[in-house]
Amino acid sequence: MGHPEGSLLHWLYTLHILPSWVPEVVPHSFVVIVLLVIVSYLATRNLSKIPSGLQNFMEWTVEGLENFTVDTMGPMGRRYTPFIGACFLYILAMNLYGLIPGMKAPTASLNTTVAMGLSAIVAVHYYAIRENGLKRWLVHFVGDPIWLAPLLIPLHIVGELARPLSLSLRLYGNIFGEETVIAILASFSPILLRLAGVPLLALPTQLPMLLFAIFTSFLQAIVFCMLVSIYIATTIGEHHGDHGHEGGEHEYDLLVDAVPV
Amino acid sequence: MFYLGMLGLAVGLAVPVSVLSAAMAQGKVGVATIEGIARQPEISSRLQTVLILTMALIESLVIYSC
Repeated sequence: MGHPEGSLLHWLYTLHILPSWVPEVVPHSFVVIVLLVIVSYLATRNLSKIPSGLQNFMEWTVEGLENFTVDTMGPMGRRYTPFIGACFLYILAMNLYGLIPGMKAPTASLNTTVAMGLSAIVAVHYYAIRENGLKRWLVHFVGDPIWLAPLLIPLHIVGELARPLSLSLRLYGNIFGEETVIAILASFSPILLRLAGVPLLALPTQLPMLLFAIFTSFLQAIVFCMLVSIYIATTIGEHHGDHGHEGGEHEYDLLVDAVPV
Repeated sequence: MFYLGMLGLAVGLAVPVSVLSAAMAQGKVGVATIEGIARQPEISSRLQTVLILTMALIESLVIYSC
């Protein structure tokens, strides 16, 4: 965590297994993917009607993710739970993985977060075209009064381009800043017992920040997924908006209407 | 060296502007949420979700400027 090149997987580069142009976070994110695959394989290996242990935990997780998307987007969010839930679990696992000493959070590098933001925005527009058709999706760029189109089309395009930029930069900045603060706090640590130049006992001055980092890892994963689900809901549901406002009280409950994005 | 000194001066003058304004915005968000919860305690869970989201959005502006 301290030195940017000094993670536990650096031997892949010194032994020339990986070429030097591959960023060091790539093997780390592969480790995260393999861990997630192994855990889900173990949880679904012996499925039983009355879940216990790991299967129980995973069912609770999936149910929580489904409630999250339904709370944010309404009943249509159930269809997008797989994508948003996969984003959530992957980002959360990557953030928490960086807190293990000697490991490097893949989200603390722009290489990972730009990929996440771009794939999220491609998925948003894929869903929008699938739900509304290509014609309606193009009309959504034009805007309401047709004579304002020369002004509104560049505005919409810039707005769409700003979404992956803000998603990826927010995730990267938060996790990178958190890791930098942990590294700085760890360097403050007074070494209490030193034997022949080798430190034996050091105060864990970074411990409070590590505990706070667990919270921010959850928070950044939640924020990423909430923004992606709001983007999906607003890009798909523009033509539902009219009767939604006349419709009744239950529409007002949705977070999509409460947060101006 | 002169360039680095000027850079340090500029960063030291520019970052506090964003930090101060974000702190004021977050204070406003917190005050509004507490007032809302005090008036209607039954919607506190929804308000907390919006609070966390808004706080994160404001905070990310500071991170952009850094």
